[in-house]
Amino acid sequence: MSPGPAVALLAALAAAALLADHALSVAALATLLLIVALRAPVARRWPYLFGTLMTAASVFVLTPFVASIGSHPLWTGPVVPVLGALDVTREELAEGLFQALRLAAVGLAFACYALLVDHDRLVGAAGWARRSTLAVALATRLVPTLERDAAGLREALRGRGVDLAPARLLSPLLAGSLERGLNLAEAMEARGYGRPGRTRAPTAAWTARDRGALALAPVVVVVGALWL
Amino acid sequence: MALAVVDRLRFSYPRADRPAVDGMSLELREGEHVAVLGASGSGKSTLLRALAGLVPHFHGGVFEGRVVVGGLDTRRTRPAELAGTVASVFQDPEDQVVMTRVENEIAFGLENVGTPPQDIEARVGEALAAVDAEHLVGRLVAELSGGELQRVALAAALALRPRLLLLDEPTSQLDPDAAEAFFDLVERLECAVVVSEQRPARPLAHCDRVLFMDGGRLVLDAARDEAVEWLRANRPLYLAHGPDVVCRLSGVGFAYGDRRVLDDVSLELRRGEVVALTGPNGSGKTTVAKIAAGLLDPSAGVVERARAAYLSQDPGRYVVAERADEEVALAADLERARAALGRLGLEQHGGRHPRDLSSGERERLALAAVLVTEPELLVLDEPTRGVDPERKAELARLLRSEAPRRATLVVTHDLPWAAEVADRVLSLDASAVREGAHA
Repeated sequence: MSPGPAVALLAALAAAALLADHALSVAALATLLLIVALRAPVARRWPYLFGTLMTAASVFVLTPFVASIGSHPLWTGPVVPVLGALDVTREELAEGLFQALRLAAVGLAFACYALLVDHDRLVGAAGWARRSTLAVALATRLVPTLERDAAGLREALRGRGVDLAPARLLSPLLAGSLERGLNLAEAMEARGYGRPGRTRAPTAAWTARDRGALALAPVVVVVGALWL
Repeated sequence: MALAVVDRLRFSYPRADRPAVDGMSLELREGEHVAVLGASGSGKSTLLRALAGLVPHFHGGVFEGRVVVGGLDTRRTRPAELAGTVASVFQDPEDQVVMTRVENEIAFGLENVGTPPQDIEARVGEALAAVDAEHLVGRLVAELSGGELQRVALAAALALRPRLLLLDEPTSQLDPDAAEAFFDLVERLECAVVVSEQRPARPLAHCDRVLFMDGGRLVLDAARDEAVEWLRANRPLYLAHGPDVVCRLSGVGFAYGDRRVLDDVSLELRRGEVVALTGPNGSGKTTVAKIAAGLLDPSAGVVERARAAYLSQDPGRYVVAERADEEVALAADLERARAALGRLGLEQHGGRHPRDLSSGERERLALAAVLVTEPELLVLDEPTRGVDPERKAELARLLRSEAPRRATLVVTHDLPWAAEVADRVLSLDASAVREGAHA
């Protein structure tokens, strides 16, 4: 599928998950997106899936403690200043699950975009928004790069017998990313990026499937808003 | 008419306390291949960036003098506008990749310089053919090896049909075979090429002219044969097959705080030889080894060395990865790591956890982890401590088999083993190095 329609469809599925009112509908959308994301190679997909699922799990666990809804307490805890009573109700659990599923669906849609969409063709097809699309494509690549940098840093520190808290790694990781960004920007400028009169390599024409996907995208949003 | 003119160029990066290039003038002619040599920080990369217009446009700083390339003054022409006249390949291919597929990566520059769309595919194919990489079409850039990726970077530069190609340490991430293949490709190019390298053997073999930089100044600009003579007289370590001295310590002194450990120590290590350094505890053997390997800076004297690797006493500290091949690949790519494991008879253990290996295997793994960097000088500190006789004999065989590739310095107390493995045994006592073992 061409990248434009693929992105439109993924965005529509994420929007439908945000607009839907029923946890089962959102769960179905998240499952669908998970199945699609699992088509990516294992080595590439795990940081995205792990990050998405961990974030969703955190939302599910924390929501009951910060929300105050429902009248069917399952557990009553102490009263904490500012937060109030640390009780857990059935409604809070349901709300936590609902929000976690929504987050998972959006995260998985992003994972599908990052892992399965041909970013080169997307940049090529972007037309007037090429600069922004290229920036997004390069930023997307930052996720696996950061993961690889963090692992390398940890290994290097372990090899030197140094044990640092993960938070201490953020600064060198950020510095490394900035350095990479500068090197890339320099290489891009040396290759003529930003020069007026740019052309575009010919791209494949859309197929009937592409046009169908693009037409389906708004339908998915409407269905999500009205019936899910 | 010269293709490029550098006229009294003096450039300082922002907040730098000294100029990176200081009063340099030279001319480059169409089609000539020039090697730029010099130590790290000597200004080689800055010169290349000045020729590409990246200095001063991209980096800022204080720029004096003039650089003209293809009739374009780089002060008034942005690097993007020089693209096509000039093309660059940088040190780390991973940091210059923009697109995800090989053919799109090469087309990126062509699109930027306004190549007619109907010509782009043919130009991509032509560039890939020029670097013998047609088979990479359709591959994801992220899945390429270092050598393949650098070929793609070269193809992306060549696709622009530059008159001047700038290569900034282009083989620093490549294994020796890939580096040789890369320079074979470069030699066939008809455009002018300026290549900066810290490992000079290959560019010296492929260039017409040599520039040598020191502290931002051009101290040599000569045809290759004349340059080789100059290097032999003034910078012998830059010649791969010159006097073959890989490391030279001259009048070296060192102190830990107030405690003086070394005073006026001199020694030479030559390619192909294994040298054992013996001496009583506290004589400074490990200090000499670390200075030779570049881990310590001497407080006095001069050290000249080629690329060095140091294997410390405890191989266990090299165990940080989950698989033996990944462990070795920490300093290289997986392909080279597996080759290194193979050389040490560990090819079948690549998938095992390093800690599941026997002690002897783990020692070989540690050796592989440093040998994979292809050092010109290998320094081992007490490699036989706590090792049984069979494993010591095996280690001696390994070091002998690897010896022709480099100089090897072994710090040891084990005199019988030193006699078995070493071509020369040096004794360090009272800061003096003598031939022959210390009794």
